Amino acid sequence: MAPEQPELLKGLAADDAQRILAIGTRISLRSGASLFQLGDPAERLFLVDRGLIRLTLPMQVRGRREEVVVEERSAGQTVGWSALIPPHKFTLAATAPLETEVIALPREDLRRHFAAHPTVGYQITLNLAVVIGHRLQLFQAMWLREMQRTVEKHSA
Amino acid sequence: MEMLLMALCLSMFGLAVTAMAFGAATRPAKSASPVQPEARPAKAVAPTRFFGDHVTPPRTSGSNVPTEVLLAQIEDHVRLEQAAAQSFLESPSHAQLHTKTTSAFVN
Repeated sequence: MAPEQPELLKGLAADDAQRILAIGTRISLRSGASLFQLGDPAERLFLVDRGLIRLTLPMQVRGRREEVVVEERSAGQTVGWSALIPPHKFTLAATAPLETEVIALPREDLRRHFAAHPTVGYQITLNLAVVIGHRLQLFQAMWLREMQRTVEKHSA
Repeated sequence: MEMLLMALCLSMFGLAVTAMAFGAATRPAKSASPVQPEARPAKAVAPTRFFGDHVTPPRTSGSNVPTEVLLAQIEDHVRLEQAAAQSFLESPSHAQLHTKTTSAFVN
């Protein structure tokens, strides 16, 4: 893993973190490989161990559908929290722009582990809330900036 | 006879005076000084509002750039906006939220 504790495992004792990592499966992605597509069922949560994951959304540019990068996740960060949040569908596409390794944590295995270790489940849910909350706040601010530009354009 | 000549002379004199006055009135004015008066730009007049004014001018920069460049501009724009939003989250204020962007995509 990355030298620092992954964001999802922050606050966990070392052995608890190791038990979570033991649930996961390491996946190697070649440069340009897809991790998941928009609308895919979200069955697994991913921890980026090495490399980079680009999260993209489709946009119509000059009549063509183009994937536009909206976020990048690097080592230690979490990708695919839709796996733990209903309706368990990915709302972005994820690709690796360079050789990347992720640890895939299946939802059902995580649920079972959380049921057996509620304090671990609580801490991980809290960490996930930080990730989701940060995304929400970031996009809220970005949306407001775009709205402000639209208002200025219309009132010019 | 003398009366007739006098009237004729007076008529001729009156005609001459009228002709001179007409000439003076219609002659183009010439400046005594070779220096021309400073040309003042016409005061800017607010554009008249017609329906045509609402037509968005063609964005030459946007329409002429290759799609790859446009996509790169969009990507840069998203990065800059994320950085600006991140700065706002670290220190929330009205000024931080509405900092101007240098993004080529919107400028």
